Amino acid sequence: MRKKNILIIGLLAALLVVLVSSFRAGAESESPAEADAARVDSSACVYPKEYMQTHHMQVLEDWKNTAAHEGPDAVHETADGRKFQKNLSTCLACHGSNRYFCFSCHAYANVTPNCWNCHISPLDTP
Amino acid sequence: MMHNDRREFIRKAGIGMLAGMGAASGILTGGGFERTTSAAWAAVPGEHGRRWGMLIDTRRCREGCTLCIESCHHTHNVPAVKSPDETVEWMHKEDGRELLGSLCSSTAALPALCNHCVEPSCARACPTDSIFRRTDGIVAIDYHRCVGCRSCMQSCPYGEVSFNWSDPRASLKNPSLDYPTRQRGVVEKCNFCSDRLVRGKKPSCVEACPEGAISFGNLNDPSSEIRKLLESSETLQRKPELGTRPSVFYII
Repeated sequence: MRKKNILIIGLLAALLVVLVSSFRAGAESESPAEADAARVDSSACVYPKEYMQTHHMQVLEDWKNTAAHEGPDAVHETADGRKFQKNLSTCLACHGSNRYFCFSCHAYANVTPNCWNCHISPLDTP
Repeated sequence: MMHNDRREFIRKAGIGMLAGMGAASGILTGGGFERTTSAAWAAVPGEHGRRWGMLIDTRRCREGCTLCIESCHHTHNVPAVKSPDETVEWMHKEDGRELLGSLCSSTAALPALCNHCVEPSCARACPTDSIFRRTDGIVAIDYHRCVGCRSCMQSCPYGEVSFNWSDPRASLKNPSLDYPTRQRGVVEKCNFCSDRLVRGKKPSCVEACPEGAISFGNLNDPSSEIRKLLESSETLQRKPELGTRPSVFYII
């Protein structure tokens, strides 16, 4: 009799564990956007280094003009098939590690792009 | 040959009036509560895919609680401008009657935000196409294009667009580094957390609400949580008679 009781308690506990874990799984799959857009890939640059040195302003200008209107489809695909979210933070995910990356060159070239009027500059981050 | 004396006439008229009142009460049951018709969340013809929507269960909304607003404003660097006529808000609380009209039985303060209309009058009014409707139903602003004409503020029937009269950075003490600020001379409003959705997160107000009063999901997906709630509950929209087809619904 006692053994039977223990068995029933054990079974109930197992059932509880299964139920709780299934609810958990349900809650997680509820997450809305299962990011179908590109993940921020910062392992390699969008274009080769030499091209970006001379043309990063054109690339950023294009992203700036198109990203908001494309909304969820604002994805930049490179010739070799890599995908990037069109967002300044995609660049800064890598280049933000050097706080002076943008500024040292812009100071030398005496240009003042207005990116940091709104975007938070790496110099303002703690 | 009708012959009624005065007493008979009054008696019959009284019975008639009672019967009429009874019939009227049968026709007008449910007070003024008009359930949102399913057309409100039906897919737009020729438009498939997602349409993000929000459902606020005001029965669970705590009085005096502003956690959703605080979380929203922190996440998106919304400046806390002190001057009352220069207020910038993405979300605020407003008297239920003011918000939903006389149909709303509640005079408690209810959360209000951009309705992300299917027919957004702000987007119609914008001369530079800075406010537009995205393919996922979010009415977004491209701050790069905004010239600060405030046509959208005039045309929004819900008053959910704010203008930056002064430099917003001056009113930001603890900015969130994940989202840009705005600059003086552009408008701003709720973006349905499109910045968080792209990272697979729920909107910040949804996550911040301790009562779980705010549901968010795809209105075009019949199996989504929000659609099930919409189909099983009496809901209201703000000013549905204007035909803007809001994507924000309220349970009173």
